[in-house]
Amino acid sequence: MGTFSKAMTAQNGFSVIGKPFPKPDAVSKVTGRAVYADDMLPARTLHCRILRSPHPHARILSVDTSAARRMPGVQAVITGVDLPIKFGILPVTQDERALEHEKVRYVGDPIAAVAAIDEEIAAAACDAISVEYEVLEPVMSIDEALAETKDERIQDYGGPNNIHKLVALEFGDVDAGFERADHVREDVFFFQGNTHLPMEQHSAIATFVDGRVTLWSSTQVVHYVHRALAKVLELPMNRIRVIGAAHGGGFGGKTDPFAHEIIVCKLAMLTGRPVKCTLTREEVFYAHRGRHPVLMWVRTGVTKDGHITAMHFKTALDGGAYGSYGVASTFYTGALQTVTYDIPAYRFEGCRVFTNKPPCGPKRGHGTPQPRFALELHLEKIADDIGIDSVDLKQRNFVKPMTRTVNWLRITSCGLDECTERVLTASGYRTRQKRRGRGMGFAISSYMSGAGTAIYWNDMPHSEVQIKVDRGGVTAYCGAMDIGQGSDSVLAAIVAEELGLQPRDIRLVTADTDTTPIDLGSYSSRVTFMAGNAALQAARKMRDMLVEAVAAKTGSPGDTVTVAAGRIGDLSFEEASILAEARFGTLTSAGSYTPPKIAGPYKGSGVGPSPAYSYSACVVDLDADPRTGIVKVNKVWIAHDVGRAINPLLVEGQVEGSVYMGLGEALMEEQAFRKGLHKWPSMLEYKSPTFMDMPEVETFIVETVDPEGPYGAKEAGQGPLLPVIPAVSSAVFDALGVWIDEVPVTPEKIVEALRRKEKGEAPRFGPVRFPSIPYPTCIKVEPPPRTLEVGSASAASI
Amino acid sequence: MEFLQPSTWTEALQMKSAHPEAMPIAGGTDVMVEINLDRHRPASILDLTRVTELNQWGADGEFLRIGAGVTYTRIIGELGDRLPGLAMASRTVGSPQIRNRGTVGGNLGSASPAGDAHPPLLATDAVVELASVGGTRRLPVREFFTGPKRNAMKQDELIAAFLVSPAKGPQQFSKVGTRNAMVIAVCSFALTLDPVRKHIGTGIGSAAPTPVIADEAERFLEGVLDEGGLWEKPASVDASALARFGELVAAAAKPIDDVRGTAAYRRHALAVMARRSFGWAWDEYRTKASE
Ligand SMILES: Cc1cc2nc3c(=O)[nH]c(=O)nc-3n(C[C@H](O)[C@H](O)[C@H](O)COP(=O)(O)OP(=O)(O)OC[C@H]3O[C@@H](n4cnc5c(N)ncnc54)[C@H](O)[C@@H]3O)c2cc1C
Repeated sequence: MGTFSKAMTAQNGFSVIGKPFPKPDAVSKVTGRAVYADDMLPARTLHCRILRSPHPHARILSVDTSAARRMPGVQAVITGVDLPIKFGILPVTQDERALEHEKVRYVGDPIAAVAAIDEEIAAAACDAISVEYEVLEPVMSIDEALAETKDERIQDYGGPNNIHKLVALEFGDVDAGFERADHVREDVFFFQGNTHLPMEQHSAIATFVDGRVTLWSSTQVVHYVHRALAKVLELPMNRIRVIGAAHGGGFGGKTDPFAHEIIVCKLAMLTGRPVKCTLTREEVFYAHRGRHPVLMWVRTGVTKDGHITAMHFKTALDGGAYGSYGVASTFYTGALQTVTYDIPAYRFEGCRVFTNKPPCGPKRGHGTPQPRFALELHLEKIADDIGIDSVDLKQRNFVKPMTRTVNWLRITSCGLDECTERVLTASGYRTRQKRRGRGMGFAISSYMSGAGTAIYWNDMPHSEVQIKVDRGGVTAYCGAMDIGQGSDSVLAAIVAEELGLQPRDIRLVTADTDTTPIDLGSYSSRVTFMAGNAALQAARKMRDMLVEAVAAKTGSPGDTVTVAAGRIGDLSFEEASILAEARFGTLTSAGSYTPPKIAGPYKGSGVGPSPAYSYSACVVDLDADPRTGIVKVNKVWIAHDVGRAINPLLVEGQVEGSVYMGLGEALMEEQAFRKGLHKWPSMLEYKSPTFMDMPEVETFIVETVDPEGPYGAKEAGQGPLLPVIPAVSSAVFDALGVWIDEVPVTPEKIVEALRRKEKGEAPRFGPVRFPSIPYPTCIKVEPPPRTLEVGSASAASI
Repeated sequence: MEFLQPSTWTEALQMKSAHPEAMPIAGGTDVMVEINLDRHRPASILDLTRVTELNQWGADGEFLRIGAGVTYTRIIGELGDRLPGLAMASRTVGSPQIRNRGTVGGNLGSASPAGDAHPPLLATDAVVELASVGGTRRLPVREFFTGPKRNAMKQDELIAAFLVSPAKGPQQFSKVGTRNAMVIAVCSFALTLDPVRKHIGTGIGSAAPTPVIADEAERFLEGVLDEGGLWEKPASVDASALARFGELVAAAAKPIDDVRGTAAYRRHALAVMARRSFGWAWDEYRTKASE
């Protein structure tokens, strides 16, 4: 708390930035007045239920809806033939249909949908639909997906067998790097899949009025839903409007366009009535798009004093049945290793396979928590091997600010050293008492402040903000969607700061494709950085107009007119805005943000570059029972380099939430299947921590003031999750002397590792082999010049 | 779906006799889950929440007779001193909301091998009172569980109450679960020390098709305590005897691998819980004895 409160009261020269303001929608959310999609019930609303496949892999021979159509109360029944056009989040993997009519690829794949006067009738009508299947052999694991196909491949692209994507990149001379090493080590790790578990289930409601479709949805990205709807419904985008309803949490799980969103629009078009669909909790587990299970192999060479000479990293991702963000996820499992540690030569080989399970996609940290887990533990083992303290070894390899990594990622601000020092000091890590059953673990990480390239190729800015000042009121318009992370607060704070107002003075119109300019949405930790910069630009333009009008009126030079505390010079904001409106006409301004073109000159370089990276360091203190293997986390110290905390209250919220989610992934969460069925599709049986499991968290906000972030701000929503998971496993090693090289770290695995240790076997639990994968020959990439000119704007463009 | 709502116990029994297929509902924390997940669509429901007789408890000879409708929250609050083992188990059930609704009668009705009330009831030789229009019968709880989620209740019967003696000595309950609340046991263990009868009671949860007792372990430990005259002069118990006790408890279980855990881990954890539970209970007994 110490550091936090200091940051909150920092005399930083701002009147709003850096102060702990409550969220604009805090009261409505806490009192239950916020209107979520499922709360909406316009007159004559029909309710939609979706019939889903009970088989993990089958051909659809026939679908008979006649009985369902005859049921009283049923208004429309649709099947795959009504929505045959394929869609998908990435242009290269347009492999989904809103309703399948040829083949189902996981239990839960949608087949038919009913709109009826109530949900019970809709559900009964789904039961009355009969589907004939030809059941195919399901493919349920990475090994099975790599093997010769038994019946037929899950998807008709990719290959060989059920491989979806293969990647092979090499930066610098890796073989020479290994030759130069004094010590080389190899390890294999596994990270089990897990899901987002947002409090709010996905929900969407559509109307069709005067030839126009309007959809309210619990989505993270109105723009991508808009695009998918236009494609599948074959309507021009201007006849579709997508609005983000109040949001009950996404964590990446609402970043794809979803079948139910398309289905309710189609049903609304057919019936002329509003149609709503809220997924059940069970359906949410099957809709998924969560963390990929990833098997990892890593080999690293180091010198005697612990400097990395080369690294070779291989990953195999279990992708589930569809592409989703999978191509990006695959690249991400290899991209960010280099932004924390200086790796002079680096080879990455990645592979994603299709399996007959719900599709995996982006979850908080997208594709990077898995390799971060492996990398942090791997370096600890190397330190052990060569007899160097593991923190020292890591610190010796930390990247430096204003450098470029071997895979062409540009690092500007970097607070790794300060974050590390903060948590080590506060936790007493270096002077901890060694005692069996109690341990501490340390880990670091980094994450992007928004991807430097868009998901689909286009030259548009990644975010745009418009400001309108009218009768003294300020309205900011932006496509960004507040999913609870606080993007509305950030927009309001920035506009308020620039116009000398308070955040509550700013009206916000967000996430509405009819009324707001584009923003690529709430994923990739991009909103504060990108929408924030756009807002800053728009607000400064507006401020200039107000100042100019006041200066002209009072005859004083513009640079003497102060903007603060609700006043422009000697005039109130309202008076100034009337003057400005008289002078310029309608008062509007716009700002936009396009990330610098910093991707490297190679195929696949689009994944990884970001205008700025956040950094985190974490220490976990826990008790691990040497008899039962039960772990109790006592405390977590975490420091996060957020560049600048626009609102420290929200930054701390994001950090604590990340710790919470990280602990769940580290210790208990598993998206696991038996015969194609989710093992525990309920909140009682899918274990994530309760508040009875949550330890105290001490958060340190580190401010490095990034040269390109708004007021120097970087991301906070995802990065702080990453170090928690390896720190837990490393603390278990500290406590018991066994390595759990597999997430989640469960009591059973600990007991088994202890048993092996007692028997004189390797004291670990985890995968022992990495499969043979037909990776292509590596694309060899010449590394860039490794230093950036300090303070040069041209750092942005090479 | 027919909804039957008796307001007296007699009426409840008559309704059950007239509608043997009717599904009784108390707290509904199992019944509603089954209905919502569409695992079960009862033709009729018999709501027992208005039957005041079920919500009462009192003395019955040397026993306490506790109505089937008494909630976990009330057991913790009103009976915690007399039934410490059952109260400890009750504290681990679900969440405050579940404990406010859920009842021991419902736990018995569901007869899940993982029901948390079962091990302490087994360890205290509790008795279940079943009733129908034809009369009342009392059945030792260890004869009540007949299979996974099956019990000895007849079609026309209802659970009226359970009877249990107030604790004469220390009691323990431990439960292994993936988290600290809202968790169905991976396995659980209850232990009772009865210095009056010189008896050790055990109950094992979630590690066999039904909740079970560890007969042989009980007799073994009773033997150890008798031989050493330890009930009278409570000294510490030999570590090897404790280890053996743990092994025998583990051996009494018939666990399987399922979504919550493996058989091997369950056996291992049971042995640890048994040793530790006895250690805690014995410490308590010795402290009391030396006061
Ligand atoms: C979120 C959640 C968490 C849970 N956590 C736990 C836990 O940690 N430990 C645990 O043991 N359980 C747990 N449960 C299960 C449940 O709460 C318990 O089994 C509880 O004891 C059931 O009691 P009830 O009164 O709600 O029973 P109900 O749901 O009303 O009934 C359960 C069964 O008993 C029958 N029944 C009820 N009363 C009588 C009667 N008088 N005569 C005959 N039959 C009767 C019903 O017909 C039904 O078959 C949990 C449930 C939920 C939803």
